[in-house]
Amino acid sequence: MSVIKTFEGREGHISQKTGYDPVSLSCSNESLAGAVSQRACVYSGARVVLNPLTDALHLVHGPIGCASYTWDIRGSSSSGPDLYKNSFSTDMSELDVVYGGEKKLARAIRDLAERFHPPAIFVYSTCIVGIIGDDLKAVCRSATAELGLPVIPVRSEGFRGNKNEGYKAACNALFELVGTKEHRPASPYAINLLGEYNVAGDLWAIKPLFEEMGIEVVATFTGDGRVAEIQRSHTARLNLVQCSGSMTYLAKKMEERYGIPYQHISFFGLGDLASALRCAARFFADESMLAKAEEIIERETAQVMPKIVYYRSRVQGKKAAIYMGGAAKAVSLVRAFEELGMEVVIIGTQTGDRDDYRKISCMVRDGTVIVDDANPLELRELLAVQKADLLVAGVKERFFAYKLGIAFCDFNHDRTTSFEGYDGLVNFAQELDASLNSPVWRLPLRRSSPIVGSQGSEIEKTIEKAAEGGVQAGV
Amino acid sequence: MPLFHGSQGCATYMRLYLAHHFREPVDIASSALSEKGTVYGGSANLKMGLKNLIIGYSPKAIGVATTCLAETIGDDIVQIINEFRAEEKSNIPIIPVSTPSYSASHEEGYARALQALVQSLARRTEPGGRINLIIGSFVSPADVRYLKNMIIDWGFADGFILFPDISETLDAPREENPPRITEGGTTLEDMVDTANSRCTLTIGGRFQSSSAGGFLEREFRVPQTALPLPIGLKDTDLFVSMLEEQTGIALPERYEAQRGRLLDTLADVHKYLAGVRVAVYGDSDIVLGLTRFLCEAGAIPAVVATGLRSTRFEAEIRAASEDALILLGADFSQIHDKIRNARIDLMLGTSNGRQISKKEGIPLVRVGLPNHDRVGATRQLLVGYEGATRLADAITNALLDENNL
Repeated sequence: MSVIKTFEGREGHISQKTGYDPVSLSCSNESLAGAVSQRACVYSGARVVLNPLTDALHLVHGPIGCASYTWDIRGSSSSGPDLYKNSFSTDMSELDVVYGGEKKLARAIRDLAERFHPPAIFVYSTCIVGIIGDDLKAVCRSATAELGLPVIPVRSEGFRGNKNEGYKAACNALFELVGTKEHRPASPYAINLLGEYNVAGDLWAIKPLFEEMGIEVVATFTGDGRVAEIQRSHTARLNLVQCSGSMTYLAKKMEERYGIPYQHISFFGLGDLASALRCAARFFADESMLAKAEEIIERETAQVMPKIVYYRSRVQGKKAAIYMGGAAKAVSLVRAFEELGMEVVIIGTQTGDRDDYRKISCMVRDGTVIVDDANPLELRELLAVQKADLLVAGVKERFFAYKLGIAFCDFNHDRTTSFEGYDGLVNFAQELDASLNSPVWRLPLRRSSPIVGSQGSEIEKTIEKAAEGGVQAGV
Repeated sequence: MPLFHGSQGCATYMRLYLAHHFREPVDIASSALSEKGTVYGGSANLKMGLKNLIIGYSPKAIGVATTCLAETIGDDIVQIINEFRAEEKSNIPIIPVSTPSYSASHEEGYARALQALVQSLARRTEPGGRINLIIGSFVSPADVRYLKNMIIDWGFADGFILFPDISETLDAPREENPPRITEGGTTLEDMVDTANSRCTLTIGGRFQSSSAGGFLEREFRVPQTALPLPIGLKDTDLFVSMLEEQTGIALPERYEAQRGRLLDTLADVHKYLAGVRVAVYGDSDIVLGLTRFLCEAGAIPAVVATGLRSTRFEAEIRAASEDALILLGADFSQIHDKIRNARIDLMLGTSNGRQISKKEGIPLVRVGLPNHDRVGATRQLLVGYEGATRLADAITNALLDENNL
């Protein structure tokens, strides 16, 4: 039975959880043409994963639009370099499309290297490059040899799939850097954080916790990242993977080649955060570290609890809808909403796979709608049917929610408030409260008028009567 | 409803870009071309996209814009659309426009879309007395609203056809049960009727090769006058005079009063603005208007930059300011370099200059598209006497803030 009416071919992508059966959802396929999918392209996936590397130079080989519309849209913060805030482009024109853009690309790489002296250059390919067949690999290889710095091609032609393919392309590019610099970690307990993008400074709330436990974070992929850290990252003993959709692929590759095991964790929400800290401590099987982790968890939880309790009292019982790019964040959100006493009535992702949806369907309550690759028409229907009070999503959905009179929380790369770590959950709860309980939703949409009303005022009735009688109303 | 024929990302990025600026939901469909489509052609995807779009949104017309991908794989969208019409027995107007990123700038894309509209829709029937008022380059919904009110107040009995009209569609009020496609805009009937108007007035878009007004003139002999955007006193005067000439009706009194208030405002702020060195950048038409206005107010347009390469633009800027450093085909690293060495007091342009503004500690007054980091872009009035008055206020206050006054 379908929850709402939708496009032919989309029915299987929407399901409602009933009973104990895990929901099986159509997913991991191409978006339906004409349905206004919220997904982006391969290039976009590669761009969001790599872009937070702050000291790298990001060069988009393609027409100006691809670089222009992705310029500085990732809210990843830097504690130092800001080269990544540029969106360099080869600005391909009609002639380049006809004669090929390899020479232009080679020249651009040379010029930019000379001007900015970056430790590495990522060269993104776009749709057009894939069609005309510029040999990015060859150009990058000879640039690497000539300039003596890694110039890495990113195979991100937009049409080659969805964002997931772009994540893979980015991981492959990163993997070329891994293990190219020697390093001896100061601590025997060295880890990497994968899929942590330092949006709104998230990382800075997390790193000190690990450091307090005596753990050295060798590299963060890729929030506030540096090329040299990525190059040394093979010296870590454990990879903690947060955004699983984007980074599990790389974690597997690192396990294969360097024998570094990985664990999925999340730094969002009190429960997930505690699990993440314990997970690291248990891995190193160090009693004093475990004790330290417990101490931190107890101390920090106690510190934020009064605030959490307060906001919980403000938001509990409200119904939340989640629509995220990837599944990891969505899953973490479900737990956080539980901690805040809210009910999740819709949960969807752009690029979740079968395993993701199975996991989600085991977590959510009966009656929750699970949706894959939703579009505005479906979301709108679902929000109404499920009586959601709040939508958590990205910018595209923000104004859509407001138009429907639904509270909103941006959990995407556009947000300016940190949501990870202990204070992060307080920030999150505060934002939910601010939107859910805002007086703007209670303002009357329709003004009550002394002369015009839904029942029809005296004057209106007079006019109507006069019109019926064929007499001109003398108002 | 618009549909982009290409990969999903093109539509999504544009939605993001526009939603950010207008703070409105923006739905743009995509034919969601994938690897298969690029090998075997995108016809099946485009037809499927059109079909679903019609089912989902019931639009009265569809605009199909191409992307790099669709163009380079050689899809003939006009033919695909014709096939679709025949197969589906659909008579919904579908307007194709060729807009691959590599072929020109977004300003040219805007002009091409306008030309495509009249090319597809305008039909000669009975000669009418209306005046086409074409907004030939990007301005805000508030600007369009201002111009609409102005021509209503004008009281010209035969009336106007104004397009494109984003005054309601991209600045929609909140209401119960909002429609799937925002209401407002120019009607299809009016677009068809543009071929029968007595004349066309186009504001902006003079530096682009495509032109809706030019097409109507060539094809249907509707004479066109192309004017700069009415930004600042003299360019608004020019626009107003042209309306007076075409309608034989004098500017309504309340606008004369607005003009007086603009002059009064400029007198009030002239010492604050005297000699202030401004860097102006953005779309060519807005930059030209802003440059001329700065000169009227006694400020100095020290750096004037646009992405366009046009000698005509350059000549017009030079005519307004002998000393301006003009950058054509500029990118932001060039603009940054020039600003660093030009003792700039104020930046005037899109939010794309925010990094430069922060780094150099120069206040930025945001004008034009995009404005991604401040609210009110849809309500920012730039055109007409009132727009100039508000701009004078905004610039002066930004300088006063900067000087801690």
